[in-house]
Amino acid sequence: MLKNSNITLSKIFADIFKDIVFFPFWWYSLGLAKIVKGLAGFVAGKEKSLALIVWIKNIFVPMYGQRDIQGAIISFFVRLIQIIFRSLILLFWVIIALIIFWLWLLSPILIIYMIVLQF
Amino acid sequence: MKQNSEQSFITCPTCSGSGANDKNFSCAECGGIGEGLFYRGNFLYWGLRISRGNIFLRQVKHFLDLLIDLIAFLIFIGGLGSLVFWLWQNLSAGILNKILFFWQEKSIFILFFWLGLAALMFLIYRADKMRDDEARIKEFKLIELKTYPDNWEQLRRYKKRLDISLTFRDKTLSIIEDAYSLALKLKNPEVTSLHLFSAMLKSVKISVLFARLNVSGRDLVDRLNSQLSALPATLKKEADLKIANEVKEILMQGFVEAYELKEDNTTVLNLLLPCVVSNRIVAEILLDLKIDENKIKNTIAWFRINEQQVANYRLYRKLAIFKPKTIMDRAYTAVATPLLNNFGYDLTLAAKWGRLQLCVARAKEITAVFDALKSGANGVLLTGQDGVGKKTIIEGIAREMVTEENVPDFMRDKRLIELDVARLVSGATAADAEARLLTIIDEINRAGNIILFIDNLENIIGITAGAEGSLELSEVLATQLEKGLLRCLATASDQNYSQHVEKSAIGRTMTRLKIAEPDKDQAIQILESKIGYLEARNNIFFSYNAIEAAVELSAKFIHEKSLPEKAIEILEKTAVKAAGEHKGERHICDKNDIALIINQLTEIPVQDLGEQEGEKLLNLEEEIHKYMVDQEEAVDMVANSLRRARTEMREGKRPIASFLFLGPTGVGKTELAKTISRVYFNKKDLLVRLDMSEYQEEDSIKKMIGDSDGTKGYLTEAVRQKPFSLILLDEFEKANPKIFNLFLQVMDDGRLTDGQGQTIDFTNSIVIATSNAGSNYIEDEIIKNTPIEQIKNSLINEQLSRIMRPELINRFDGIIVFKPLSEKDTVAIARLMLADVAGMLKAKGMELEISDAGLAEIARLGYDPKFGARPLRRLIQDKIEDEIAKKILGNELARRDTVVINDSAEIEVKKAREL
Repeated sequence: MLKNSNITLSKIFADIFKDIVFFPFWWYSLGLAKIVKGLAGFVAGKEKSLALIVWIKNIFVPMYGQRDIQGAIISFFVRLIQIIFRSLILLFWVIIALIIFWLWLLSPILIIYMIVLQF
Repeated sequence: MKQNSEQSFITCPTCSGSGANDKNFSCAECGGIGEGLFYRGNFLYWGLRISRGNIFLRQVKHFLDLLIDLIAFLIFIGGLGSLVFWLWQNLSAGILNKILFFWQEKSIFILFFWLGLAALMFLIYRADKMRDDEARIKEFKLIELKTYPDNWEQLRRYKKRLDISLTFRDKTLSIIEDAYSLALKLKNPEVTSLHLFSAMLKSVKISVLFARLNVSGRDLVDRLNSQLSALPATLKKEADLKIANEVKEILMQGFVEAYELKEDNTTVLNLLLPCVVSNRIVAEILLDLKIDENKIKNTIAWFRINEQQVANYRLYRKLAIFKPKTIMDRAYTAVATPLLNNFGYDLTLAAKWGRLQLCVARAKEITAVFDALKSGANGVLLTGQDGVGKKTIIEGIAREMVTEENVPDFMRDKRLIELDVARLVSGATAADAEARLLTIIDEINRAGNIILFIDNLENIIGITAGAEGSLELSEVLATQLEKGLLRCLATASDQNYSQHVEKSAIGRTMTRLKIAEPDKDQAIQILESKIGYLEARNNIFFSYNAIEAAVELSAKFIHEKSLPEKAIEILEKTAVKAAGEHKGERHICDKNDIALIINQLTEIPVQDLGEQEGEKLLNLEEEIHKYMVDQEEAVDMVANSLRRARTEMREGKRPIASFLFLGPTGVGKTELAKTISRVYFNKKDLLVRLDMSEYQEEDSIKKMIGDSDGTKGYLTEAVRQKPFSLILLDEFEKANPKIFNLFLQVMDDGRLTDGQGQTIDFTNSIVIATSNAGSNYIEDEIIKNTPIEQIKNSLINEQLSRIMRPELINRFDGIIVFKPLSEKDTVAIARLMLADVAGMLKAKGMELEISDAGLAEIARLGYDPKFGARPLRRLIQDKIEDEIAKKILGNELARRDTVVINDSAEIEVKKAREL
């Protein structure tokens, strides 16, 4: 698409042509970078709301300020279970993100293949 | 070359800024740039050439873009549809296997489906590209230039050039194109800022802006059209049409503003103000419509605030998701705080759920609190007048703690809890309260994720557990703060701070942060942020003038609270009233709606002068003479000063007027004061009368202004409650000289500080002092026929200066000498007084008839040059009123009868016909 520079009719048509021809290149360059960034942000957001790293960092810190031995031991195991549980949830989201990533990566090839298959 | 520095425009001398030579090719000297501006070391210029052809091409481009997107979209929808159709066809055939592996089938429908998916990918690409290609202001580095290029040869080769037209989006560009087309249509040789302004009015944003300013769009367009038609229509062909340099300058100024406000692109709102400033005609038209630059600036700010609020709200909701919903921190290391939960209110939790109000234009104060905490203070105390928004700042901090974007590290993952002092101390002895507080502090200390907030810190001062010398509640907190066991924020009003907090231990421990009253523009912006809610709740609209008036009038006439709270209260009252009065219609609240509310609260007439009131003011003398006889000079002087006051033709820092009335007793000094109160204020209870003979002792000053132990002063309290009043100081000369000093201040500054330290505003009152001083002298000189002016001068210089200090005499706006009454005046006064009697009789259904000779006789009997009209009043009382009373009691006088005052001034009764 043209920017607001001085327009001519030939520039307009050249631009449309460029759009159609260069769109597959965009898909695997800038488009790919954007989708990766977007998915990374999505996973980071999920991690933040699960606070997984906070849990891992505090694995030896007793919960609820219970600093006695029993408290600390119970706390360690509770935290361990929490970490495993939260990791599983995060893993689920990572898989979702990966699926989207692969879909992005493969869909042009797949579509072209499917179209060719029709002939 | 004109000048070579930043912020001044550089115009090509060859083409005078048009960028084209005589033959309409690019100017050889400037390369077609024409005019530019250095900004942050970059050379800005307008690079887009506008012509009918270019406008058409841009429209073609838009059309084609839309067409391509539409085609791609239709292919995608068609592809989906064809798959569904194929599935439906095969479903009815009942071949499940075929459906599950549909891609293996060969069909035109399946092919179309895959093409549809390709079209979807293309659409994703187009949408992203469109976002990327949108004109956008990119931040550029500041380049410090020691010397600026001083000729166009160098400028042409200067690398850091920026074509600002690349930061204009289609909407704004089309406005510039409209201005061009307008000039072309009118055959004007240049596109001027007048064309640009005219084109801007078509934009939705600008028309909403003028609606907010309560300007009728039609009126504005009509005025502009008549100005446009006055422009020369000398254009022969389009190629000769030039864009005036002023327009390019407006566009560049607009860009600079947008850049400095960190806006995304240059919009029409950025162009409006430069356009108004640049075109004198536009500015004059707007001034005629009572709109100045400042109003436009603040209304534009209003738009920005609204946009900002929406953006902030979105970001806030996005970030608030991550804040824990419970009392625990994210790592679950905190400890439960049952007692604190009972006595406290979790502000961060309330903020997370959006229950706290927005805090606008207070970023500086919030940063100051953070800085104080960062520098090691454990307690920060916000002090300021009532209503400046101390609590709102705390709520702003709570909101910041939810998003955790700008808070210091130690405030992340923390809770801000407000301690409810009333609950803490209620139903408990002081010792219990202390125990509770200590337990709470222990809890806070153990939990480790709590910051305490105490509203009105003075409430915990003075609660002590035992005998003298034992610890009090605030000291308990102070010791814990000193030990660094907790962090605490608090607020206190200025008055309470100086009275209770300053000298206490807690006052010394906490860092004080003064919160100032916001200035006018800041207050307007704070109000603008609240308008949306008020408008939605009450289904009304506020014009900009209403907001400005709420701030200005409340600042001027309401002194017990501070901005912004007092202005917000006025807005709320106006909104509720307007919603009640104009149910169902979307009423626009204007300045006068606000003025009416201020008038209701203070009785001060602040609304625009109505026709009726204007007429009344113009004929004030006549109106006063209905109740007053003669004393022309006095009446004129008073009437003039009242007119000045009502049309705001006076300094606002002194009383409306202050007069000293001199003259013998009974000549109408007090009567004139009362008449003013009746005629001007329309109400008798707005008269504050002080008999100064009661203030002869030195300590009577306390009686007047009150005492620090809480006794209210008679004068100060009366004026505080009714700022718009007439203060009548009878027999002024008899007051104690110390009291004179008080009035020195009143007449000079228009304010007085009462015994409790509160400032009382006298700028809306009229002060009238009366005095008999030198009355014998006046009488003697009048008999000698000495001119009044001469009498007045010698009175002021000799007689008065013996009693009052010259500076006090000087402070009065006018010293008026009342002449002794002549016998002729007495007849007129007798008529006025008898008119009062007639009024009383009428209320009982009776009439009064007075013969001329009878009136003259009453005047003769009642005339006493020494005592003025007083003996006449007594005479009428004894001779007429008493007699009538007796006749009523003796049943000689009944309804419909007529009382006649005969030629010898005796009472007779004319009986009415029996019914």
